[in-house]
Order: sequence, then C-alpha cells, then structure tokens
Amino acid sequence: MIKDITLGQYFPGNTVIHRLDPRAKIILTIMYIVVIFFAKNLWSFMLVVASALALVLISKISYKTLLKSMKPLIFVLAFTTFFNIFWTEGDVLLVSIWKIRIYLEGIVYAIMMIIRITALLIGTTIILTYTTSPIMLTDGLEQLLAPLRKIKLPVHEFSMMMTIALRFIPTLIEETDKIMSAQKARGADFTTGSLAKRAKALVPILIPLFISAFRRADELATAMECRCYHGGEGRTRMSILHCSFKDAAALLVMLLFGAGLIALNQLPCAISL
Amino acid sequence: MTEIELKNVSYVYSLDTPFMKTALDDVSLTIHGGVITGLMGHTGSGKSTLVQLLNGLNKPTSGQVFVGGEDIWADPKQVRKFAFKVGLVFQYPEYQLFEETVRKDIAFGPTNMELDESEIKRRVEESAEFCGIAPSLLEKSPFDLSGGQKRRVAIAGVMAMEPEVLVLDEPAAGLDPRGREEILGGIRDYQRRRGSSVVIVSHSMEDMARYSDEIIVMSHAKVYMQGTTAEIFERADELCAVGLSVPQITELMNTLRDRGLDVRRGIYTVDDAKAELLRLISAKRGAK
Repeated sequence: MIKDITLGQYFPGNTVIHRLDPRAKIILTIMYIVVIFFAKNLWSFMLVVASALALVLISKISYKTLLKSMKPLIFVLAFTTFFNIFWTEGDVLLVSIWKIRIYLEGIVYAIMMIIRITALLIGTTIILTYTTSPIMLTDGLEQLLAPLRKIKLPVHEFSMMMTIALRFIPTLIEETDKIMSAQKARGADFTTGSLAKRAKALVPILIPLFISAFRRADELATAMECRCYHGGEGRTRMSILHCSFKDAAALLVMLLFGAGLIALNQLPCAISL
Repeated sequence: MTEIELKNVSYVYSLDTPFMKTALDDVSLTIHGGVITGLMGHTGSGKSTLVQLLNGLNKPTSGQVFVGGEDIWADPKQVRKFAFKVGLVFQYPEYQLFEETVRKDIAFGPTNMELDESEIKRRVEESAEFCGIAPSLLEKSPFDLSGGQKRRVAIAGVMAMEPEVLVLDEPAAGLDPRGREEILGGIRDYQRRRGSSVVIVSHSMEDMARYSDEIIVMSHAKVYMQGTTAEIFERADELCAVGLSVPQITELMNTLRDRGLDVRRGIYTVDDAKAELLRLISAKRGAK
C-alpha cells in the first residue's frame, strides 16, 4: 500500500536523539554531512562507519525500517559503484580483459563511496526525519532562519506553509488510497491496458482528489481565521524551544568527531583516497 | 442467494513496521444469503477492514474468503470479478463522484462491466429509482446536488452493477432522520425485490433494529456475537460490555419488565412494543 512509504517519516520514540532540540539537530545534520566528506583514509572511514552504527543503536530505529528506506538508493549506489570500479585508474592492476581494466584503487573508491552515501542517508534520516516530528522540524527551521526576517523574507509564512503541506501529506495519501479503493470497487482498472487507457483511468481518482483537496484547504483557511490567525506578527508559541546541556554536549561530540576524523586522516595508511 | 464465508481470516496493517496493527484476528464467520446482515462494533473494532476483504479489494494477511463457495484469492488474476459480485459502498461515498452528469456517474460501474448500452440504461434508471433520485436529476452535474443526494447517487452507482451481495459501510452516517430513512428504506426495498444479500455497517442501534434480519457484532478485531436481530438485542448486558447498547425502545421495555410488568423479551421496534403494550392493556381490562 502507498501508506507504507517510509522515507521522511517520523517514528515516535524517547531516545536521546529524539529529545534533542530541533535547531541543534538541523545544525548537527549539516555538520555531519560536511564532516563525512573530510574522511580520506581507511582509519577515518572506519570512524565514519562506527559513527553511523552508533547513531542506529542510539536511535533504536529498527534495521528493517532502515533497509527499507535505503531501497530507493540502490540505483544510485549501483551507478557510482559501477563507474568507480571501471573508470578509476591506479597503480595496482587486478583484472585486465580486452579494454576493461580494474584497479584496486577503483574498488577501494567504490567501497568508500558506498560508505559515504550510506552514512549520509543514515545521518540525515536518523538525526532529522526519523526522530523529529515534522512540526518540531519546521519550528526549528523557522527559528534558525529568523534572522532572515531582517531582509524582509516571510520566514513565518514560509514555515507555516511547510507545516501545513507536511501535515497534509499523510491525509492526502490516505484520501488517494480511499478513492482508489472506492473506484476499484466499481470496477475501475488501473493496472492493465495501454498507456493512454491507464492515463484515462486516473481521471476518476484525480477529480475527487482535487475537489477534496480544495475543500480541505478552504475549510482549513476558515478554521484558521476563526481562531484569529493573521500571520506571524506578534504570534507567540505554545512550546518554546530550549537549548539544554544535552544539545551542547551533542554539538561537542560532533566537533570531537570531526576533529577525530581529521586527526585520523594524518595517520599513515596504505589505503587512502 | 450468495453466501460469504470467512475462514480464519486475519488482517494486519503496516506489517513489519513500528505502526503494525492487527485489525482482524482469526475471524471465521458466515454472512447468509438473501437477508440483510447488520455489522456492528465500536470504532476501531475492524468492521471497515472486514468489508474491504469481502470483494477482494484487500488480501487477508492469512485465511480465506469464500463468495458463493469460491475462494476469491484462488487465482489472484481473477479477483477483479468479485468486485462486481460483491458491490461495496464506502463510507462517505459522495466524495468519489467524478463524472459530468449523474447518469454517467451511476453508469461507471456497469460500463466497467462492459455491458451493452440498453442494459446500462435500464440499470441506471432502476437503481436511481431505488435510491430515490428523480429522473430530472440524471442529467445534472453531481457536484450541484446536496450532500444527501450525492450520497444516493454514489449508492446507486454500486447498485447499478447489480451485485449478488451489496455491502454498505455506514450508508446513513451524518444524515438527518428523514435522509436515513429514505436511504435505508431504499436499500431494504432493493433487497426485498431482488432477493440479494445485503450487509450494512452501522453504529445506530435503531437502524439495525429496523432494517437488519441478522446481526454480527465485532469487538477488538474478533467476532463478538452473531445471530438474528432479536437474539442479539436480547443480550443487552453483553452489548453494553463492548461499548454498544440496545435500541431505546428495547431499553424502555427492559425497564418496564424490571418494574414488574409482564412484557416479553426481544422487542426492538416501536411497532412491536406498541402491539405488546396494547396486548397488556387489553388483558388488564379483560381481567377487570
């Protein structure tokens, strides 16, 4: 079912990562992404792997969900692996058949790239989307971007739009599911026939879906106005974000991680980029 | 008269994710042919999940569904034909309308069955009549109709497929008393005239008492009770235990009996109650 899409979904929990301040998490994610690209040799890559494993363990996200969320990446991984293996030139020739030459360096590059991309995904999904509710995320983003208000950017409106959009994705998915089922119950067939026929079969889904989306938008706007919503001016919040000791600690750990990587890069190592 | 049989059916949502939820747990039951079966249960008891298994829309996680003795998942390629055998009307079906005219919308199902034009025309007009849609409305846009009229158009759209079993999920939800009566009355007329089988999911004890011949009560993903309407409403305490109740008139008669009046059990319609009270009064007069 389409409801089972996991990418970008929040998994409620109560781990240290769940409880971090969303602003800290956004900054941590950016730092993590940058730091991962510092890694240059075997030692530092081992540290990257260790950090990714640590994140998985601390966040208590099941490995099954993680594997599922990586499925869309398989193509990208296969693609980069392919190019790295066949198009990298180095000193140690392993295989040479006709024009194809595979060097040890190519394989090393490929493995390192896989580690990098996987760590990237784990880092961003675990630190951010899997452990932060969408509302917290946009709240954090709004506050981080608050200085931009000085140059007249509508930061609040932007984040409100994002909150509403995120809030309604599951609703719309559910709605699509429901309408599809209803039309299937009336004998609609979406899976067989020519492309034109299948495109035409979408009409009975799209029309009711658009109508209900507009109806919802209208109702939501009325409901917001009834509660005196008038934009960000002078608006206070129910839950105020507080940076605490653990956020500072997490930032410190991330800095140490980065420093550790750079230090490991200096170690002599036979395998390096 | 098509019977539906469920054998050890379980259904689990979002299998193998943290959101996993068992909606049906090893359910076995028989929905008899030629009668109106009421499906009751508290919110989240698995009613809506159950009805979506009856026409092959969802595949049970385990167990089998038989329609007229045929296992509907025996050949997954053939499962679509059961959507025509078991017509399913969803909750709030008015949100599935999409055609330019009411006529075309009702004809959507029959057209998918690849019937010829005169047959489609006959079915559209007949089902419109059952649902109380005036012929003048047929050429209008469904989006110009009122909520109650839209609901009827949607129900007519499924009826027009002339399914052997008609399943309706809360067909009267959110309607005023008159609208409820018209829709449910139309469904009963349809059932009586065609002799087909009908399943109605509802929360309303009054509607169940009035329109259903047999009742299945669901609770916590399992079948809690099954029997004729009279049998079910005699067991008021058990119904209350799962957050349901008995019709108000049954409650009244039970209270009268508790106060020492000699009224019989198993009364669940106002007409029966009236007859019973009149009998008591005349008996009393006779005694005098």
